[in-house]
Amino acid sequence: MSSNDVKLRSKSGSIAAYSALVYIVVIFFAILAIIPFWYMFMNATWDSYSIQSGIKLWPNFAHLGEQVKANWAYLSNRSTFSFALGFKNSILITVSSTALTVYFSALTAYGISVYDFKGRKLIFTIIVGVMMVPTAVNITGFYRLMGSMGLLGTRWPLILPAIAAPNTVFFIKQYLDTSLSKEIIEAARIDGANEFYTFNRVCLPIMVPALATQGIFSFLGSWNNFFAPSILLTKQELKTLPLMVSMLYGDRYTDYGAIYIGLSASVFPIIIAYAFLQRYIIQGVSAGGVKE
Amino acid sequence: MARGTNQPSRHKGMSYTKFGYLFIAPFVIVYCLFSLYPLLTTFWYSGTVMQSTQAAFWGFSNREVYYDRYLDLTKIYDSFDGGLEGQTGINTTDYKNMQAYFAAQNKADQYDPIDPEALQYIVDNSDISEATRAKVQQVIDTGDISYIASDADVIAELSDWSSNYVDLGITIINSLGKVNNAAMTAATVAESDSDSGEDAITAEDILTSDQYASFLDTLQTGEFDEGQTLLMNYLADKAGVASLYDFFAAEDVSVESDMYYYICANLDSPNAVYTSEEGETSVNAVAVPFMADLTAYLNANVWSTTVPAINSYSEFQNYIDGEIDLHSDEEQLYADLETLNEMGLIVPCVQLVQEGDALVPSSNVANNILAAMRQYIDSNYQSDEIKTNSVLSINALNNYLNDQGRTRLVDAGFDVDSYITFNGDFDVNKYIEFKSLIGLGDVLTMARYEELDQQMRDFYSEQAQGNLETAQGKLPDAQAAYDAAVATGDEEAIEAANEALSRVNSEITNAENTIKRPSGILEKADSSTEYLFVGMNNFSEIFGNKYRFNVVAGAFYTTAVMWIIGFIPQILLALLLSAWFTDTKLKLKGLSVMKALMYLPNVITAATIAIFFRRLFSYSTGDATSAVQMLLDAVGHERINFFINPWATRLIVCFINFWMWYGNTMIVLIAGITSISESLYESAQLDGANSFQTYTKITMPLLRPILLYTLVTSMIGGLQMYDIPFNLNQYPSLVAFNGTYIKCSQTVLMYVNQLAFGKSSIKQVGIASAVSVILFILTTILSILIFFMMRDRDAAAAAKAKKLARKAGGNR
Repeated sequence: MSSNDVKLRSKSGSIAAYSALVYIVVIFFAILAIIPFWYMFMNATWDSYSIQSGIKLWPNFAHLGEQVKANWAYLSNRSTFSFALGFKNSILITVSSTALTVYFSALTAYGISVYDFKGRKLIFTIIVGVMMVPTAVNITGFYRLMGSMGLLGTRWPLILPAIAAPNTVFFIKQYLDTSLSKEIIEAARIDGANEFYTFNRVCLPIMVPALATQGIFSFLGSWNNFFAPSILLTKQELKTLPLMVSMLYGDRYTDYGAIYIGLSASVFPIIIAYAFLQRYIIQGVSAGGVKE
Repeated sequence: MARGTNQPSRHKGMSYTKFGYLFIAPFVIVYCLFSLYPLLTTFWYSGTVMQSTQAAFWGFSNREVYYDRYLDLTKIYDSFDGGLEGQTGINTTDYKNMQAYFAAQNKADQYDPIDPEALQYIVDNSDISEATRAKVQQVIDTGDISYIASDADVIAELSDWSSNYVDLGITIINSLGKVNNAAMTAATVAESDSDSGEDAITAEDILTSDQYASFLDTLQTGEFDEGQTLLMNYLADKAGVASLYDFFAAEDVSVESDMYYYICANLDSPNAVYTSEEGETSVNAVAVPFMADLTAYLNANVWSTTVPAINSYSEFQNYIDGEIDLHSDEEQLYADLETLNEMGLIVPCVQLVQEGDALVPSSNVANNILAAMRQYIDSNYQSDEIKTNSVLSINALNNYLNDQGRTRLVDAGFDVDSYITFNGDFDVNKYIEFKSLIGLGDVLTMARYEELDQQMRDFYSEQAQGNLETAQGKLPDAQAAYDAAVATGDEEAIEAANEALSRVNSEITNAENTIKRPSGILEKADSSTEYLFVGMNNFSEIFGNKYRFNVVAGAFYTTAVMWIIGFIPQILLALLLSAWFTDTKLKLKGLSVMKALMYLPNVITAATIAIFFRRLFSYSTGDATSAVQMLLDAVGHERINFFINPWATRLIVCFINFWMWYGNTMIVLIAGITSISESLYESAQLDGANSFQTYTKITMPLLRPILLYTLVTSMIGGLQMYDIPFNLNQYPSLVAFNGTYIKCSQTVLMYVNQLAFGKSSIKQVGIASAVSVILFILTTILSILIFFMMRDRDAAAAAKAKKLARKAGGNR
């Protein structure tokens, strides 16, 4: 009996030691994940010289407001970086492409899920197949097409293709298959609603949870997109925030405070949004993995 | 009742299904248009060559203007009887005036001389005279360049102002230009050498020249200051002789020897850099008139061996073309210099310090070149972007004003500046005005061009007809000769006859093609945007040309390596963390917060993260430096220039990938583990399995589909890697790959981007598309391969797991 007791105690003891180790590792990686952003934000409050002469892990309490203002002013003076412009361009492109992605993916997923038309299985298989196609390989063809359509130098090449988002269609379709009951559609039909009215007014509200999750991912994808904009948006007045951030590099007249405030400004909105939406984002990532 | 509702619904149900097509129509149309069609055209482009990108197309309404600009009728019609005038009725002088106009406009386009910001800087900050200031201000206000263009004094003053400004970037580009010229000279000399042998200077010439004698005399009797003496002693010591005179006067001195070259290079400015104990003094060349010729000799003889590999040379050409931008970070400039040096394109130099009475190389041997460069940069570099632009602006203005085309028009009495646009846009209306002024408005019309085009087609067609007949006449003889050769069995003869036969055959094919599609003048102009189908030529270029193959294979290698090295720790850590996070025995708290924190990097813009890491690791030698260098200082390690070291750059990319993605993988794996039935674990626990056994026997096999998904998606993403390496180092240092220099962190997409959309004036869309197609095919093959490999094992594993579960159930 007593020997059993000892065994148990030692076992719980070793588990405690084990979980302590686990905690240490987990906390280490959690800190590793956020420390760069912390460092970015802290450096944004210091002047260039201080940043380069010591690692600053705390804010510049003494001159917080004025230094941030000074850095910001320095940053705004650059011809290549305008936060307001970049933010506006990013928002314009991202919001419109997200809206298109969400609405049309819902439409497509609904079409495949609800109507038993000829070839729908094939279409769905193709959609699943093209999810795996690397998206960047068609860039030369895409660029020439945009040129011949006269869309180069506009935002449209980054917005219009959002209508066809195979990933989003796939996930919404999976959601519809499990959560949409045909009775509701039947009922709407009996009430005399036409098909588009049924979709827009009756079914779309039911899809909101799935649309929200997919909307977040589509938004993030578009917001962080760099490759296509870097090729398609060459005019300064159209450049999105990531492109402007990228210009922070190519400058040999470096003011580090200005660079860090520029980086921070581009990261800050995402972190704030993430703080509120992280639960949905992580659920979305989990769902993506399991359903595949 | 039931019947009542059922019947219409069934009836309607039939027609409802059609709505499905309506609902998916937008998706299908947009997908086909914006994804599928570009993909197919990319395949098509991979089989084409774009002829030239000089021409920009501005619509059908001004098509003749487009031809005006890009057709050089003088050239085309030189081969015809009667020349330009006889054939076309176009006055040659007028036509040349038009060409001069375009030449001037091209210069104006190229440089965009009115950069208001740059000119404003001159107005605000320079010490120019008030009159000039007022005129520059007028140019800014009105956008009319003629205020200063017509005033020689103003231009002289501005040029004077700009020539006093030293900018290292410009200086280096200029000196690289000189080096390039030297290399060109070398190539010419080598060529003429093989022809006549008279032009090249030989070693014999140098050693027996009067100048060499006077050089020796200078060495023996000349007076040198302390620094020069020290340098000469140092070099003599290095050569193992008592004095430099001994070295140069020796019987067996060889001009070809490395040491000879080394000494001369270090005697010549500005490669001799010397630091005394008191401060820094640079030692200039030992002034000998002989040096000029020596340099010419060295250029002629050393360049041909220093730049043996064509790829090094073309890489170097990129620097001069501006494809690799020297106008970035000071630090980057520094790296570029070192790269040039690694390629043997900069004369080696050492930093010397005085120890007692002698000069010795600085103890910091590895950084010697860097240190010297650094010193040079620090003492010459002025950080003023706008001022640099102003200077460039003035230079550009001078270029425009001195342009031969413009001069010609001014001499002919045209107020040319008022017909040129300076904002980089070609103004069709201004041009048309000009065209009618010189009397070509009614002559060069679309109808006229079409007429000329037809004439030319007829001409070529006729010519080809003649060629065809001649070739066909030769065919029977060639065939007979070949047959005869085959009969004799002599291999050499067969080969020669075969070659002759195929030559005749290709003449016939060419002539037939020309008859089918004779090229007119318009086709020549249009071909600037035309894609010529060349079949598999782009692919045979990639696989057949050793240089091209190495660059493409190197990009694939770089991408794959950077993905794999990042992916392995990513998947391992994700497996470990997901095991811990789902381990019910541990009862960890606060996990959702930890998960959220670890996932955070994945939602942040990759470009931002890359720029941040760039700053974090950047290198400088002074007090002011980056965080990682400070950490190195703190642990007492020498500072490391990560972005010069190819593997360091790659590893930073790998780390960023790992750091951004392990959280994502972890969450996917956690989801996978939690979806595994609880009962499996319970029964395993009852059977006394420990955590490790449960993990390897139950979790891992059942997790396989998820691992497959992670592997495939990560691989597809990894092969398309772009944002991080691109932003981390836009001008990566070079590394040898299979004998060719490649950019150490250039991924496949970066290469595609450089070819198709890069700064070079020649866009290689065909090759870029071919590389894209290879990427597409490779990704597809790998995905399918992984999928099938893993699926077979899955099937086995799933069966095993089921058996295990059944067994466990039975035991209970």
